[in-house]
Amino acid sequence: METATNTSLKANIKPRKSLSPWAIARKKFVKNKLAMVSLIFLIFVAIISFLAPFITTADVTKVDIGKMNLSPSSEHWLGTDNAGRDVFTRLLYGGRISLTVGVACTILIVTFGTFIGSVAGYFGGKIDNMLMRFTDFVLNFPFIVFVIVINTILIGKVSGVWVLIGVISLLSWGGVARIVRSKVLAEKENEYILAAQSIGCSSAKIIVKHLLPNVFSTIIVQATLLFAGMIVAETGLSFLGFGIPQDVPSWGNMLSVANQPDVLQNKTWIWIPPALAITLTILSINFIGEGLKDALNPKSNR
Amino acid sequence: MLKFALRRILGMIPVLLLISIVVFTLAKLMPGDSLSGEIDPTNTDPQYIEEMREKLGYNDPIHIQYIRWISDFVQGEFGTSSRYKMPVIDVIAERLPNTLLLGVAALIITYILAFFMGMYSGRKPYTVGDHVISGGNYFALAIPSFVAAIVAIYVFSFQLGWFPSGGSSEVGLMEGTFAYYMSRLHHVLLPALVLGAFSTASYTQFLRNDVIENSRKDFVRTARAKGTKESTIYNKHILRNSIIPLVTFFGFDLAALIGGAIITETIFTYPGIGSLFLNSVSQRDYTVLMSLTMLLSTLTLVGNLIADILYGIVDPRIRLD
Repeated sequence: METATNTSLKANIKPRKSLSPWAIARKKFVKNKLAMVSLIFLIFVAIISFLAPFITTADVTKVDIGKMNLSPSSEHWLGTDNAGRDVFTRLLYGGRISLTVGVACTILIVTFGTFIGSVAGYFGGKIDNMLMRFTDFVLNFPFIVFVIVINTILIGKVSGVWVLIGVISLLSWGGVARIVRSKVLAEKENEYILAAQSIGCSSAKIIVKHLLPNVFSTIIVQATLLFAGMIVAETGLSFLGFGIPQDVPSWGNMLSVANQPDVLQNKTWIWIPPALAITLTILSINFIGEGLKDALNPKSNR
Repeated sequence: MLKFALRRILGMIPVLLLISIVVFTLAKLMPGDSLSGEIDPTNTDPQYIEEMREKLGYNDPIHIQYIRWISDFVQGEFGTSSRYKMPVIDVIAERLPNTLLLGVAALIITYILAFFMGMYSGRKPYTVGDHVISGGNYFALAIPSFVAAIVAIYVFSFQLGWFPSGGSSEVGLMEGTFAYYMSRLHHVLLPALVLGAFSTASYTQFLRNDVIENSRKDFVRTARAKGTKESTIYNKHILRNSIIPLVTFFGFDLAALIGGAIITETIFTYPGIGSLFLNSVSQRDYTVLMSLTMLLSTLTLVGNLIADILYGIVDPRIRLD
């Protein structure tokens, strides 16, 4: 008798079994065509960039004066640049650097910003006041100005990809900290936090295990938009000559030759590929971000 | 309100002091003499350098040097430019009108374009026109300003020949003539368009969403019920409510324009503050570099302050404390 009711109950419940919030979000995201196409495009770009050594055999650093400024041909798919380097090869290797910088900066910024924001939001009071004053202070620095000044100081002492990542991250974590703080402030008023406190959970455990999972959706959306912003920052700084060292190919470095009117006007194959690569990558990341925002928002029913 | 504004302005002073300490520290870390520019960088005689350092007080304790620098700075004595051989403040003053013109032009273009596109999209959402505008917005938000600048020069200057590709005015025109002013306007349009593209897109998006939201409100239904013309509803009743929040963006624009101007002016070889900043790095004119860093930081701070105060004016829920 008992088993019978059990199975009938199960049979009743099964078709209406509600999905977990993550599963709902995933379903919504998969249905969003624009976001899915963007995601596939981004994964494609990432794969061919990181597999660059296996895709092209051309030497990325080799300067060949005999092959300067060749227009696209079957040998050089996208032509060669003003130092005789293959544009297609450089595009792939450049993608590797630009995406790496973007990902690394995003991870650093999100980690640090979340740490500051959640600590400030959870403890409140004096700690909150102090940390947020500090955050406001960092947010007040004009980003480009200070990256350039710090780079000028560092030139000749240390330089390289990781220095740039550090400098960019150091100046950009403020926004994340502010958003995470405001979310944590709202979230910590819930009863489950009080319950966790009353059974004696340590503060660190409450933040990591109870608070952060509930603000995670906000963090993910922020991280996506940040990723796009960081790629723009890297390429922009490299374009101006203050980012990645000039001998390392990056999308920004490749574009910087477009500052010469002759290249800009007559040798479009040199600067159009990186320009397109940057724009399409940013566009697809933005679409993914929009899709995630929609998917993770329980109120939207698109 | 006045009390609120005053409090914010007073609260700005410690932040400004802290920023000045950071800038001073960075200036000290700079190679060479970046604070006064009096030491001739080509003269490497150690005795000469030592004499100059003693004369300029670089051997004094660090806090005395800081106080001397900041009090000079407040009085407008930024030191001497090692490249232009004249006071830094004169170098900056020469370039400032160009950047102001660029900034104002960018803002005007932004406001006009965003106003018309946003109102149209908001009035006719989900139509073909709205989708075209939204699509354009996505592109404007995704294209980094330096890519947009390059493409704009390629298309409008080189292919179509509508705009000059650089400079701030035609060479050889007399200052003060009508042709001179027209030429300056002609030169500033393209960089201003590029500089304003990003904020145009975000303004348009914001205005569109706000108009759509407002058009569902009760006061609009009332206006319709009493037979108000549709155009009056949109251009008077809704517009007034939707345009106010936009005001608060102005302060953030100021900060964004500063960063944008550095990139845009460099690409368009437009002789303003931004290109001066980058040139001073490559020419090792560190006095100009540090003065500009301090000035631009102050401007950013003022921009954020204006945003805060405007927010307080527009949204009465934000109260004094």
